[in-house]
Amino acid sequence: MTALAPASPRIVRASWASQTGQVFRRWIIGTWRQVWGPAMSLLQPVIWIVLFGQVYSALGTLPVFGDDGYIGYLVPGILMMTVLYSGAWAGTGYIDDIGSGVMDQLLSAPLSRSAIVTGQLLQQLVINVLQSAVVLGIGALAGASYPGGVGGILLALVAATLLATVFCCASSAVALTTRNQVALIGLSQLIVLPATFLSTTMMPATLLPDWVQAVARWNPMTWAVELGRAGLDGTLFDGSADAGRLLLEGAGLVLLAALAFAWTVRSIRAYQRSL
Amino acid sequence: MPTSPHAIEAEALVKRYRTGRRTPPVEALRGLSFEVATGSVFGLLGPNGAGKSTTTKILTTLALPTSGTARVAGADVVRDAAAVRTRIGYVSQGTSTDPLLTVRENLELAARLRGVGRADAAGRAGRLIDEFALAEHVERPAGKLSGGTRRRLDVAAALVHAPSVLFLDEPTTGLDPESRAAMWGEIRRLAGQESLTVVLTTHYLEEADRLADRVMIVDHGAKVVEGTPQALKADLAGDGVRVELFEPDADRVRRAAASVPLLRDVVVEVSGPTGSLNARAADGSAVLAPLIQALDAAGVAFGAASVSGPTLDDVYLHHVGHSFGGAHPTEGAAA
Repeated sequence: MTALAPASPRIVRASWASQTGQVFRRWIIGTWRQVWGPAMSLLQPVIWIVLFGQVYSALGTLPVFGDDGYIGYLVPGILMMTVLYSGAWAGTGYIDDIGSGVMDQLLSAPLSRSAIVTGQLLQQLVINVLQSAVVLGIGALAGASYPGGVGGILLALVAATLLATVFCCASSAVALTTRNQVALIGLSQLIVLPATFLSTTMMPATLLPDWVQAVARWNPMTWAVELGRAGLDGTLFDGSADAGRLLLEGAGLVLLAALAFAWTVRSIRAYQRSL
Repeated sequence: MPTSPHAIEAEALVKRYRTGRRTPPVEALRGLSFEVATGSVFGLLGPNGAGKSTTTKILTTLALPTSGTARVAGADVVRDAAAVRTRIGYVSQGTSTDPLLTVRENLELAARLRGVGRADAAGRAGRLIDEFALAEHVERPAGKLSGGTRRRLDVAAALVHAPSVLFLDEPTTGLDPESRAAMWGEIRRLAGQESLTVVLTTHYLEEADRLADRVMIVDHGAKVVEGTPQALKADLAGDGVRVELFEPDADRVRRAAASVPLLRDVVVEVSGPTGSLNARAADGSAVLAPLIQALDAAGVAFGAASVSGPTLDDVYLHHVGHSFGGAHPTEGAAA
């Protein structure tokens, strides 16, 4: 092989897709070599489903929770909680890269800045989809059913992916701005709990205090949970859900995801300008 | 790519950093101009904060100059940054390869990110694995390599796309003496390639003396002096005289030295309980005995005294006024 290796290889500017693919491949290999991280993060939804399912099981007798009881209501919420918590940590990868010098290598290579962001985001989303599949499986084992069928499951995964994009990108933008692991962790912890409990993740809006209902209506976590829930329980397909509102919430998630992505690309450029 | 006798042409580079809204900007570069001949090894020398890394970051397109221009391998670093990036290799301070990827994966990734096709990337990786003696580590993650081996991988990764200019930012910092010697061997080997220009940033004067065809000393963001190591040393006629001092009183040392005829460029540096006297003389051995006697008579406690031919340390001391990395002088040049 060495004898045939070119002394001066032909250099062609790689396409954006190829650049993104290489960055994605790098992150996926890294994830595989530290697979205990994503594996441990799968334990969290198991604990949540068991813990919240048991603590709030008495609520399942209320008519608002339907035939599956509370567990059927809870699973879409846990699905979104999983991607929310996972996404909030996404920026740590950039902080590691800045500290190790890898970021300088990426920025001094003829690479599109959006390819750097997209490659890392895709890796996060692949992990999120796998985590989501596991959550849905555990939910089914715990007694939840998904009358919405494959279409409903796909819709829930799309909603989870959009929510993950929002929080992965926001976390990355904060990481590139602060370049500080402690600041990122602190900010993440500050956001994820209110985002979870000021939404319909655990409770239907009708059981929430008025002010929480008002906040929850504008919380993207609620949008993703409601969209996923309407898909999984099939209410989107049988006409009993408010399709217009869900459409608006879905559009809101798309818009937020696009804005968060743009924020990250802008942050990576700002990081470079600060050098 | 246009051919030019100069791989790098920097003109009046200025870089200011904002540190806060109420504080004035820090000027890291103050109108730095220089050229680097194609195929040469150029040593960029200076203490921490001198502006070496800022210069390297501008030339590698990582940072934008506040003003001024620079062309690297025929392309403007601001207007045509993408072209510069395909023509340079960059080994940053610390490490620059992914700790979780193996040696081979790092090399192939570096090649693919710089536009080398899949087949060529594998071939180039194999070639560099052989050239840099990385074969026995090829399937190990970079993070598990020793410091010296990891640094060889960093350099190999920077060369995988056969760049025309290679930037080595303090490539031997933190290495043990054996690894440092091995890295010097690699840099010397690379310097033998006519098509490759190497910009070596270092704060080891010995390193620049051994490896660079030409050196430029920078301090406080400006050029202090530039030339070949031989010419810079030759400009300092005579010998360097150095005496180690214990708990020195700078004034007393200076007065003692001033009493010694033919001793010039006297610099006394104090760092805590110790210090040093550096000076020059046409014949160092002739002034050493009178100097020792003068110090002794003045009640100055001293240790080892030495006379040596001019080194880059002497060049630095002569032009900057204090020794490289040493304490600032309590007295400037006298006599």
